Amino acid sequence: MEQHVQKQPDSPVPFFLWRHLNTVRRLVLLLVFCLLILLPYISLYQNFVAGHAYDLLTPHERRIYDVMEWLTAPIARSDPANNLNMIKGNTWSGTLFGLKLSDPLAVVGQVAAQFKLYWPFLLTALLPVGLTLLLGRFYCGWICPATLLYEINDAVRHRLVRLGILAQGRRMDLRLKYGVLAVGVGLSTALGTVVFSAIYPPLIVGREIQYWVTANGVGAGTTFFLLTLLFDLLVARRGFCRYLCPGGALYALLGRYRLVRIQRLVNRCNDCTLCDKVCPFALRPMRDAFGQECNNCTACMAVCPPRALTFRLRIQDQPDQGPGHQGPAHRRAAVRVTAKGEVA
Amino acid sequence: MERRTFLQQLTATAALVAGAATPYGLARVMTPEALAAPHTHLRPPGALRDDNAFIEACIGCGLCGEVCPVQAIRFYGREGGNKVNTPYINPAKKGCILSGRCMEVCPTNALTATPKREVAMGIAQIDRSACYPWVDRGVCGACANVCPVGKEAITFVFANFYRPVVLKGCVGCGVCVEVCPHPSRPIRIAERSLVQYAPAAIIPESALPPAVNPSAGVTGHGVPAQPEAGETPRPGVVPF
Repeated sequence: MEQHVQKQPDSPVPFFLWRHLNTVRRLVLLLVFCLLILLPYISLYQNFVAGHAYDLLTPHERRIYDVMEWLTAPIARSDPANNLNMIKGNTWSGTLFGLKLSDPLAVVGQVAAQFKLYWPFLLTALLPVGLTLLLGRFYCGWICPATLLYEINDAVRHRLVRLGILAQGRRMDLRLKYGVLAVGVGLSTALGTVVFSAIYPPLIVGREIQYWVTANGVGAGTTFFLLTLLFDLLVARRGFCRYLCPGGALYALLGRYRLVRIQRLVNRCNDCTLCDKVCPFALRPMRDAFGQECNNCTACMAVCPPRALTFRLRIQDQPDQGPGHQGPAHRRAAVRVTAKGEVA
Repeated sequence: MERRTFLQQLTATAALVAGAATPYGLARVMTPEALAAPHTHLRPPGALRDDNAFIEACIGCGLCGEVCPVQAIRFYGREGGNKVNTPYINPAKKGCILSGRCMEVCPTNALTATPKREVAMGIAQIDRSACYPWVDRGVCGACANVCPVGKEAITFVFANFYRPVVLKGCVGCGVCVEVCPHPSRPIRIAERSLVQYAPAAIIPESALPPAVNPSAGVTGHGVPAQPEAGETPRPGVVPF
């Protein structure tokens, strides 16, 4: 009689929280985005307080003052002008609890533009670079304020595709973005301006919010950002991040030999290919192909039914491990073997 | 790669590049006069003297504008050409109060920490054919009262009662331009290198260079300066 032999997975269950990291990640993205909206208002409020200006404010400014006073009361206590300085700026460059941080792309662009090494500025990128060496493109998945908008855009796109309104996106060459990075560096040198600051979505998002709140309104950056959203909708899924973003290119290069990687436990995998479908960057977890593009967003971990994906500390991906041991291919093989009367 | 795929990708990339050019490049091509416009605004205090060096050093993070206590710092849009996203101060709208916050937060060497009195944004010049005390239309002194530097920058000379004169200590912050009650804004900020000044001496009329800030530099005769696009005209100030 044919018996259904199935190997029990001998690898341990991955840590239970890792299934929920994707939710945590979305919350982090939301937090960063909300902070980017709040910070300019906090700065405004601090300036109003420092200027003892409440009686001189317009009704609109007075509303900002009141709301911010209410929001920041627990942190600001009695001295908002000095107690609210812990976070300033945006993801391109800013201060986090007294530590100045900058995007490595800002440093690359600025060095290319002015051909001078200004050490205090170079050092601000030290921590991001170090983290990227360990974690790869984590900035793209976990911090970048544009990613939140791109993911919302992607969800809309997914529904439109299912309704048949939009076509499936096309695949392009992932190496295009390294070209964009190289051309950007070259143009920065040639023109003497940091051209990335005009086309880098996370900076555009942060800065346009700030322009909207504290300066002279949104500008060309918004138009550019909307165009990238259109590109994602009409041309390729998450196309800007995957094919064109110069920051993504830099982070991918830095994270080529990152230490923290998602890996497939072939013993637990059942070949359902959900991870391949859900990956926003169209990587192939089923083929153990993460490469330097993976930004550890853990979307694949969240959907994997047999919990076959886990984090490992390695500097390279495993070579393709073949079909999962819980999958139909293995099941068929097991059935064939038992039909011959041998022990599977 | 197949030719078909390659052509498709080429088309997509070309479309994106063209799209990217729309907010930046094409707008500049279509409005060439914007490129030819002279340097009309001041850089924030502590900015590198050479404007090209400043543009090279500035990464366009916008921190200086965020922390500016009076929101004097604005940013060039695409009309600024290669100055896009770099900060400027338009003293006709809002002058710098020399709080030094922007210099503190600037991550690069674009704005370097400079003591208040060594800031060199420019130097103020007073149009004596418009300034109320200079044309004997009253007593004012708003500029001298508000100057964040003080008596070394702008003062009244003896026997010229309430007639302000700019001295060597002026750093060009532009607060006087902002507060001047005359509708034609008779004070303008000129480039420092162009001005021949003597310490504690009145700058002769003949030494006045062309205005750096045309919107503030209209000479006298009660002609109101044109407000910037989007700027609400100031409430009328009654001369006294």
